[in-house]
Amino acid sequence: MRRRQSLAYVIDPRFPGGTSSAVAQELRVTARKADVSIHAAASRMFSGTEIAPQLKDVLVDLGLTVNWNSRTIAADTVIIHNPSFLKFEKIWDVRIIARNLIVVAHENFLRPGEVEAFDVGRCLGLIDRASLSLAKTIAPISPHNRQGVTRWLASHGAGPWRIAAEDWFNICAFPIEPPVERPRDRRGRHSRPGFEKFPSLADMDLCFPDHAESNVILGGDTFLGGDTHRPHWSLHPFRAIDVAEFFGMIDFMVYFTAPTWRESFGRVLAEAIAAGKVVISDAGTAATFSDAVVAATPAEVDGIVAAFITDPASYRRHVRKAQSRLKDFAPDAFERMFERLVATGLGAAA
Amino acid sequence: MILIEAGERSEKAHDAKVLFASQLAARGYAAGIDEATIPDGLDRNQKYEIAPLLVEMPEQTVRHLIIIGAETISDETLMLIRGYALDPSVQVAATGRFSDLQVLAASRAKIAYAIGREPTMIDIADINARPLMDASISPLLAVGGNARPVPARPQVFVFVPPEMIEEPMTLPILSAMDQLPGVALNLITTGKSKEQIRASRHGHLSVFGYTEMTTTAFAELADIVAFFGESIPGERMAALALDMMRAGKVVIDCTGSSAFVARGAPALRGPADLAALPNYLDHTVLINLAEIGKRAGDSPWLNGNSIERLEKALGLRPSLPAETPARRPMTVFVPTNGNGLGHAQRCSLIAAEMPARDDCVFAAFPSCVSMVESKGFACLPLVQRSDDHPEEYANDVLNYLRLRRAVRPGDRLVFDGGYVFDSIYRTIKEKRLSAAWIRRGLWLPGQMNPVSLDREKAFEAVIVPTEAFEELNTSTGYGRNTHHVGPVVQQLSDDGTDSEALRARLADRFKLKFDQLVVTMLGGGVAADRSAQLQTLCNLLERRDGCLHLIVVWPGSRVSPAVYGWKRSRPVQTKAALALAAAADLTVSAAGYNSFHEILYHGIPAIFVPQMAAYMDDQQRRAQAAADRGLAVSVLASEMLLLEREVTAFLDKGKAADIRKNLKSIALPAPGNAAAAALIGRLGHE
Repeated sequence: MRRRQSLAYVIDPRFPGGTSSAVAQELRVTARKADVSIHAAASRMFSGTEIAPQLKDVLVDLGLTVNWNSRTIAADTVIIHNPSFLKFEKIWDVRIIARNLIVVAHENFLRPGEVEAFDVGRCLGLIDRASLSLAKTIAPISPHNRQGVTRWLASHGAGPWRIAAEDWFNICAFPIEPPVERPRDRRGRHSRPGFEKFPSLADMDLCFPDHAESNVILGGDTFLGGDTHRPHWSLHPFRAIDVAEFFGMIDFMVYFTAPTWRESFGRVLAEAIAAGKVVISDAGTAATFSDAVVAATPAEVDGIVAAFITDPASYRRHVRKAQSRLKDFAPDAFERMFERLVATGLGAAA
Repeated sequence: MILIEAGERSEKAHDAKVLFASQLAARGYAAGIDEATIPDGLDRNQKYEIAPLLVEMPEQTVRHLIIIGAETISDETLMLIRGYALDPSVQVAATGRFSDLQVLAASRAKIAYAIGREPTMIDIADINARPLMDASISPLLAVGGNARPVPARPQVFVFVPPEMIEEPMTLPILSAMDQLPGVALNLITTGKSKEQIRASRHGHLSVFGYTEMTTTAFAELADIVAFFGESIPGERMAALALDMMRAGKVVIDCTGSSAFVARGAPALRGPADLAALPNYLDHTVLINLAEIGKRAGDSPWLNGNSIERLEKALGLRPSLPAETPARRPMTVFVPTNGNGLGHAQRCSLIAAEMPARDDCVFAAFPSCVSMVESKGFACLPLVQRSDDHPEEYANDVLNYLRLRRAVRPGDRLVFDGGYVFDSIYRTIKEKRLSAAWIRRGLWLPGQMNPVSLDREKAFEAVIVPTEAFEELNTSTGYGRNTHHVGPVVQQLSDDGTDSEALRARLADRFKLKFDQLVVTMLGGGVAADRSAQLQTLCNLLERRDGCLHLIVVWPGSRVSPAVYGWKRSRPVQTKAALALAAAADLTVSAAGYNSFHEILYHGIPAIFVPQMAAYMDDQQRRAQAAADRGLAVSVLASEMLLLEREVTAFLDKGKAADIRKNLKSIALPAPGNAAAAALIGRLGHE
């Protein structure tokens, strides 16, 4: 009988948004496959905040406890999610001993224009100095995220790091809702309120024009207090309404970000697809989901929406096809990817 | 235009923005600050300082946005720059002292997200490895400062921190130092400490509040600056030190921590004890002044702390002097106070005597513009004070902007007035103008404002037009820069305006035959209401057949509607008041400097009704001096019955003829118009 693998997670459990949601989904899969321990790194990045609620629920469900500031972490495989939590640290007083060390990239190493998004060298350097492992792997989470990792390592030197062969994608286990029979020009977007999540005002106007039946912007906090007056926008602060309620108000998810930033995965797009919506985004962001997301520019949004409204059958066909694409991000798909990566992760000593 | 913003919103960040924008402006750039970002509670000096820099966004001429202190960047700043929706052609740069790559990356990302494109990031540490201060928000680089020959009596500026002013021996030592013949001593301190010094027995010291002028203007004035206190006293004074060094002038580090010298700056290590400074100046500095300055200017450290490196990183190129159209130096006359008519009249008489008359222009209140233009001079209108303005000096801030736009270094400014407004003072200092103050005497006791006397230091010459009678010449000063000239008085030209012809034209104009002409010039009604006296005169003269009574109305005067109801009394607005008075049988006049002397010098029989107001001269003394000599009659405003009696005496009992006879026999001093003009002509040459 084979010994169950030990699997140690090193995370800052206070990450808001995507990282914590991804780890929460992932734990439900990996806990079945290995003996999981959770080691929290209390970085300065999230000083004063609490464990993300989505993660807290999973930990309770799985009976896992969080070890805060472990000095030594030893396991067959150690997974560090989102190394950017170390970006403000000068030292990291931890010893990691593992056969297999996997750093799941999450935050893009490079922003559009090949600009370094954070001090990647510092974060990877701290992890490298703190760890003794046969293999040190960086696992990108999407094709775009992979591009950044590859380019960064190429320009800064790979050192002990190699890149995982497969993407360590976010598990998308959202309930699947059918598309509406006859879509209307009801548009919306949902995100945290940071500037990086929004395009220019001119592009927002193209995406959410006054001739649309409705424009629902959840997470539009920055527009609420400012000088931007768009009476045809229905603005809601982040988390002001339930996401399901939000999806009930729209037929088209129109999602563009600042041109200087890009989603590393785009869970919010997968969530919208699962909710039975046509999702429109820029080509780079859409690439993670192949043709499940309609790639466009803001100027093209009106035409795309009009075409789907004119041809409701094509709307329904597109949504169903996109939803079928989500199977690639299902828990069982992740389980298979995990087994392959962890099993093949052993390499030369580093 | 270069728009300057700061990463954080704080008083310190605001000061840094103003400092950097001012430095860029001194360097020849159009630099501005978004008016929407100025904090509440700015003091008076801060408002004047920032006024020329304010920009109302969106401003189409913006070509660069520079965010200083970008190592800390607030959401408020991000919202602001996002709201600008800048055209892609506008270059955006952020400067800061980024402690590590992450701080730089984070700052860069925040800006990039807000504006939708990447800013140019400039780590000041890369440009300036050994800065004067570690935590400055402004880039703090040497910008301005022009070298000049060392004067015979160098200007020494001493920065004294407030806590040092409190020490009992500080001011006595400075007062003793003020007597040194080899240097001109000036102090720089806080506004509050300046007030404290003014109120002390050491109020004669030349003191500047450190926000009173731009650092560039300080650097232009000073030959030597000594800094006391524990360390470098803020970014503004650090910038002054840098500009001084760049201009090859002397910086003496008297700080307790050797703050300048320890940073490698080419400053002299001076005594930390103020009492030792005079000897240090005398035996170490003054004898080596030129060589010390030269060594400082050649310092590699200074090279590393100069603006050229930042300009290169930002892709900026300072505008060359050749890019501004050339013109001859101008002499700008600025008559102010009250409605300014008397001052403007006096200035126009002097300007008319200037050798280069065509190079004389005026900046005056609207009430004077027409009169000045009628004399053949161009006139820039200034804004008069109004109770409707949010602050009592709001108009002067606007005047400051107008004046500084109108003048250039090398111009002359001639101010005529009692109170030296901030606009005048700052313009002279900042534009390096040669300036003269025409300051007639006869102030009321306590009227000469200490602020004005303090600002006398801005003027190269104080020209005092004297009074006709010696006992009235109680000038406020007889310093080496004070020059007394004869009364500045208008001379009636012989251009056909002889009295008989004029009277004939008046009869024709008013369709009224008369054999007696009375002219009343009781003032503009701004200083005092004279409607009661006017009504008395109108009533009295209405009953006299054959009389025409002309009421001279000055531009901007308040005229009671009641004076329009008389048959024999007619309000007239005229620029020929003197000609009318000369043609009259009697003139009833206030005793302002101009009217008084015109009446005396033209032998006009007159009754003076002196005006008395807090900000006016002592008209009563002036009128009485003439009355004592039998050259006029003085009637107080309250003496209505006496006024009636005197009018009757002048018109019916031969008093006018007696007065006229007395006036003909009196010897008056030669007018000083030409002498004043000659003094102004020498400004900048002595």
